[in-house]
Amino acid sequence: MELIINGQRFTVAAEPARPLLYVLRDELGLTGTKFGCGAGICGACTVHVNGVATRSCQTMISTLAGAQITTIEGLANGERLHPVQQAFLELQVPQCGWCMSGQMMAAAALLAANPSPTRDDMIAAMRYNYCRCGTYARIGRAVMRAAELMKEGRQ
Amino acid sequence: MSESARPPRWRMTRRGFLIGLGLAGGGLALGALFGLPAARLALSDLLGDGFGPPATLPKEPNLWFAIQPDGQVMMTMPKVEMGQGVHTALAQIAAEELGVSWEQIQIAQASSLGPVRDGAGTSASYSVMGLFPLLRETAATLREMLRAAGAEQLGIEIAQAQVSDGAVIDSADPTRRIGFGTLVSLPRDWQPPAEAAPLTPPERWRIIGQPTPRLDLPAKIRGLATYGYDARVEGMLYGAVARPPRLGARLRRAAPGTARERPGVVEVVIRDGFAGVVAESRLTAYAALNDLELEWELPPPFSQQDIDERLAAQANAGTPIQKRGDATRALQGARVIEATYRTPLAAHANLEPQAALVDVQTERVRAWVSTQSPIQVANTLASLLGRKPETVEVIPTYLGGGFGRKITTVVASEAALLSAAVGRPVHVGWTRTEEFRHSYLRPPTYATFRAALDATGTIVALEQRHVSGNVLFELIPAPLRWLFGSDFGAWRGARLVYAIPDLLVTSHIVDLPVPTGPWRGLGLLANTFAVESFIDELAVAAKIDPLEFRLRHLPNTPVGRRFRATLLAVAEMSNWSETPLPGRARGIACSIDMNTIAAHVAEVGYEGDRLRVYRVWAAVDPGIAINPDGLIAQTEGGIMMGLSATLFERITIQDGQIAAGNFDRYPLLTIADAPEVQVQLLRSGDQPFGGGEPPMGPIAAAVANALFALSGERRRELPLLG
Repeated sequence: MELIINGQRFTVAAEPARPLLYVLRDELGLTGTKFGCGAGICGACTVHVNGVATRSCQTMISTLAGAQITTIEGLANGERLHPVQQAFLELQVPQCGWCMSGQMMAAAALLAANPSPTRDDMIAAMRYNYCRCGTYARIGRAVMRAAELMKEGRQ
Repeated sequence: MSESARPPRWRMTRRGFLIGLGLAGGGLALGALFGLPAARLALSDLLGDGFGPPATLPKEPNLWFAIQPDGQVMMTMPKVEMGQGVHTALAQIAAEELGVSWEQIQIAQASSLGPVRDGAGTSASYSVMGLFPLLRETAATLREMLRAAGAEQLGIEIAQAQVSDGAVIDSADPTRRIGFGTLVSLPRDWQPPAEAAPLTPPERWRIIGQPTPRLDLPAKIRGLATYGYDARVEGMLYGAVARPPRLGARLRRAAPGTARERPGVVEVVIRDGFAGVVAESRLTAYAALNDLELEWELPPPFSQQDIDERLAAQANAGTPIQKRGDATRALQGARVIEATYRTPLAAHANLEPQAALVDVQTERVRAWVSTQSPIQVANTLASLLGRKPETVEVIPTYLGGGFGRKITTVVASEAALLSAAVGRPVHVGWTRTEEFRHSYLRPPTYATFRAALDATGTIVALEQRHVSGNVLFELIPAPLRWLFGSDFGAWRGARLVYAIPDLLVTSHIVDLPVPTGPWRGLGLLANTFAVESFIDELAVAAKIDPLEFRLRHLPNTPVGRRFRATLLAVAEMSNWSETPLPGRARGIACSIDMNTIAAHVAEVGYEGDRLRVYRVWAAVDPGIAINPDGLIAQTEGGIMMGLSATLFERITIQDGQIAAGNFDRYPLLTIADAPEVQVQLLRSGDQPFGGGEPPMGPIAAAVANALFALSGERRRELPLLG
């Protein structure tokens, strides 16, 4: 079947029930999306499906015909980082970095839907992504900072 | 590194380091022998998973950095990056002493074959602390050679030649300068300086001590950093390994069953005690495990209660690890305050599970592994496959969390067995269930305290009997354990800093039917919870403010004075003397680990009937922080990970198996429960101490002490919730 990932069309031969995560990582070489638990709990595998933050380990590719899929590799606009990536870099958020693709994808989906989140909105959106290194204090600040950067970008 | 690129000459420096010099690829390369400082950590050489011959100290120096003709410095990293920021900190030290700008440094990861080999691996918060003197001296030697060469080119005395931003400059006429890149391109018989190179004095540091953006983050931000789970090569296959249904079970008999008939399966590999599948995709390999015919020899089942009882039964055993006066006698007939503290088994829960890609070829073996110990893994693979060590190269990748769980990485051996069977590269990446059920764990602890106060509220005698599962003994061959007397990993954090005239701390290790080992800080978090909670109990009994009680008991020694400064700093940050908001309460605790002192104040309250940790203030004295922002990040992260363990984390045993198979049964702290954290770094000298683990030490005790202040309930067992 055909998948649209980061604006590019890919033909994949995998069986329809295969979760998107394994197709991204093992067949298309897009290893920026991470495996963490395989059960939809930790959030490391979060991608966007039609702009919505989605657990790729729980999403069968058969459900994705015609959908626009975005992964961390497609979040930046070429060399230009997405405001979420800019903020995560500016505040030096990642430590080991394994959960960070999922964190940034969750944050970008939040800000696309809600450009001016309150702190409670931010926590409601980010509370399903684990970070074992414990960068939560910086994640919270970076999501709010990214909202500012997006506002500045629009002005 | 080819022989021709080896430095032709070596000389011994004043600290006993060998410095080697030589031309490599047109540039100037310089290395150092890792033997002497690494010898202090010789124990770590034993931490491999194969117990083969320990990685011997290198017999010749290794190339560390090379100046390229374009003036860039390529620095090779003997340590692995697992989020602790070690690459950046080491590069800062090198750039400082070389006299180059930050932008002129480039880094590359060393493999198990070099060019820089460090048998100690990356653990114990020792990387920056241990390499600091050697790295400075090696870099300063190179700088002085360049200064001499530059002075000669400029026709000036060496004393008149300054080094700055990778150039030698005539101090009398700063327009006259020659860059390092130009210098190393000139034909020259490079000689090491006759005298030991002077080290840059701390007051002139430009890069050490400055908050410095991490070198690994640009790739991580874009999802382009390669971890062990991400390692990919042409023609690779995926492997999966059959796991025992119960801890300690042995594979008695295995047969392929119908596995070979499953489309996509390439091979079924059955060896003594091992059964695995190689397939074209990971999911196929795992699915085919169900097709195998396996017979397990099951040990008798054991329960959580068995473990708890084994610890408690040994409460009076143990060898002394700290002794002053005669505490046992002093406590006889005294009014004794007693308490017992317990901590549970806990998981590392590194978000990247164990992963390795191994390519076993006729002539050589290459392995890309998410490991803290590349040289030990290489030795293990060489002995497993019957190869010469120099034909096995382990290339450490970025680690998606280590926390001690990647000190031994049996996954590399699994991938190697499978690759050897099919003659193609094989990747093994564990599932979360394998990670939970087939890893070593943080051991449970059981600590019994007895103490007596005098009429002024001073501790006159204290006895702690500490019982734990293995931490480092698990990794040391039994015949060698006597060398170490006690398992110092298990009792890390259990010794007391306080000046108590009669003091006894003993340590006893209990063999448990569940594998245990090093977890971030080893015993630090669990033991500081017990010690600093009990100190709080004594402060309450003495009716003295817990901060004041601690200050009164600190010894008048350099370490005691550092504790005082750190405690006073955290007290000031948190306005300790002021009453918290209604419904909230505070607790304080402190610890020392790898010579870094940490003091925390936690502020807690109830949200409905649920305990919330609202704020944590942390003061940390690491000697000096090479990268202050990096150390602040380690402190914030250590507090969050420690808080997760404090509030939620407990592994339990059910029918001889670890009950949790995923995060549904072992939830971690999320951003919803994350407190606001404020960190202040103190500088007490010019030598950096440990950074990755020590700052987390006090958090569990600070929270438990705050909970007591809030509720009047003394909690003596972790986790506090759940």
